Amino acid sequence: MSERILKYTDAVREATDQLLEKDSSVFVVGLGVSYKDGAADGTTSGLAMKYPKRVLDVPVSENAFTGMAVGAAFSGLRPIVHHGRVEFSLLAMDPILTQAAKWNYMFGGGNPVPITLRIAVGRQWGNGPQHTQSLYGLFGGTPGLKVVIPSTPRMAKGLLISAVRDNNPVIILESRWLYKVKQDVPAEMWEEPLDKAKVLKKGADITVVAYGDGLVSALEAYDLVGKSAGIELIDVVSINPVDNETIAKSVAKTGRLLCVDTAPAAFSIGSEIIAAVAKVMPLKNKPVALCTPAVPCPTSTALTESYYPTKVDIANAVLRAMKKPDIKHVLTFEELHLAPSITLS
Amino acid sequence: MAIISRKNKRQDVALSTGALLRAYEKMFLIRVAEEKIAALYLKNKIMSFVHFYIGQEAVAVGVADSIGLKDKMLGNHRSHGHYLAKGGDLKRMVCELLGKEGGLAKGKGGSMHMVDRSVNFVGSTPILGSVVPLSCGVAFEQKYNKRKSVTVAFLGDGAFEEGVIYETINLAGLFKLPLLIVVENNLYSVNSPLKDRRAEGHNVAKIVRGFGAKYIKADGKNYRDVRVKAGKMVAYLRKGNGPGVLECFTHRHMAHSAPIFDESSRKEDVLEKRLQQDSIKRLRSELRRAGVSEKKLASIESEKIRYADESIAFAFAAPYPKPETLYTNVFAR
Repeated sequence: MSERILKYTDAVREATDQLLEKDSSVFVVGLGVSYKDGAADGTTSGLAMKYPKRVLDVPVSENAFTGMAVGAAFSGLRPIVHHGRVEFSLLAMDPILTQAAKWNYMFGGGNPVPITLRIAVGRQWGNGPQHTQSLYGLFGGTPGLKVVIPSTPRMAKGLLISAVRDNNPVIILESRWLYKVKQDVPAEMWEEPLDKAKVLKKGADITVVAYGDGLVSALEAYDLVGKSAGIELIDVVSINPVDNETIAKSVAKTGRLLCVDTAPAAFSIGSEIIAAVAKVMPLKNKPVALCTPAVPCPTSTALTESYYPTKVDIANAVLRAMKKPDIKHVLTFEELHLAPSITLS
Repeated sequence: MAIISRKNKRQDVALSTGALLRAYEKMFLIRVAEEKIAALYLKNKIMSFVHFYIGQEAVAVGVADSIGLKDKMLGNHRSHGHYLAKGGDLKRMVCELLGKEGGLAKGKGGSMHMVDRSVNFVGSTPILGSVVPLSCGVAFEQKYNKRKSVTVAFLGDGAFEEGVIYETINLAGLFKLPLLIVVENNLYSVNSPLKDRRAEGHNVAKIVRGFGAKYIKADGKNYRDVRVKAGKMVAYLRKGNGPGVLECFTHRHMAHSAPIFDESSRKEDVLEKRLQQDSIKRLRSELRRAGVSEKKLASIESEKIRYADESIAFAFAAPYPKPETLYTNVFAR
């Protein structure tokens, strides 16, 4: 089998293409999704030409087109809605949180809403306070939604396929920071479970839990730490529900827990996981939560330099938990500020 | 089924007495059922927040009589009338109000969440304007799958002030979707009159037509007027012309969400005027003039009263949902 190295965005595009081809009830709506370059991020490029009436550009009316997609979904279609930034999806919170998430429950079942929302979140240089929010808690804390964070190109493809085939509203929070990350992605269609965390690396000393952009930093930290500590690295994958069972099982083995958040700590995924684990077992260390400061993300690189936890921060947090000396590594401008284009194994 | 003459452009012709009588039966049942529900509500027998439709019956029935079973309908917080007009089951509706297992939503929704796929009542949702983009999606599916059916969304004049309405009229127009937006203008949003909510010169017709959509205004206290104009609107929609707004001016006889209220908050639609212009009273007079006997009408009315009593008794006797169903239906399989 030859390797098929795809960019994250190409993996999303390939899954979308295959879903459109296999199921005529699938359609795509979002601002600019019919553009040649595919909503400016490449995730739908060329698809409008292949499926002209099913990849639809829409007016800049987030509330209306998201609500329309919810209505189409409970009428039997399988829309994929694209919001290029989470801030714009906030204009559509009524159809997402109040309508789609409640629809089946409030009618006593029998009213499925098979909608998938792809929402881009998080860091990107130069984007500042109103273009870089993540707001994981908003989606993670709303019953009735399934919420996943694909952290690799393979997961981006497999989770999108599962999301579209699921009979419920699924929110896919895509870290824009990862759009250039590459990986070997199988050509066929397959489904990744929507509710399971994934153990990416086995280790006996400390459980590191991360997601999205933080997961890629944690993978780099794993290499930096090397044999100094046995890291068990877990990709959260699902934040509604959080797969506390897989995480707790790992912590039961390692006795130590480190969570990497790329958002402020309050109501974060990390705090949620630490609380869940602390309820069921004693720990050898004080659980560590790496996170951003509780301020909006600014624009100047002089200020964002210390905003997100880096691979060095993660590596040193691991080493401190193991009572080992810090590593010295000065991050380059590129490492600090430019989105990674690495190829993952 | 009522018939509208295609040849005659006058709007007030060709509704047979039989059709009017059937409409009267439906309107009377909605009225009497809600009056009985209101009495129970005042005695704290109904632990579901209720918004009464009394006074607006001609709108629901006039619109419902203009569409068929395959056409879809969605409503808002005030949708008992819409649901019953679409052919709904009063027993299951009252069960839902009482939180019973056999209710339309197994007790999980309550009064603000009417739903019944068997009559294509797709759902009702109380976040006012929300129903419009959702209904647009229902109409989107109808066009996507090349169906001949249309979708009707009911909302009030207050909801019509929410921005998503304007976004959706444009969107439905862009895709030429068979969406009929019925605005029931009862002159108040809770207790706020139109003059406190709208700029001088505000003009719904111009707004709607400015989006290239069709607008028709109807007397929502007059079944015949609603029926004829809704019929015109539905015919327009079926041709694939895109969305329309039917604005029906009506009176809500009760408070926003309770049976009784301070009459002093009503300026235009004072009690005397409401009773005088009441659609049911007017339709009854019309039927009498058309030769329907008092005896016939009284017999229909007593039958509807009996049926409402029977439905309510049925619902009170019905079982509550099992406590463990609290956890079911969050997700569909």
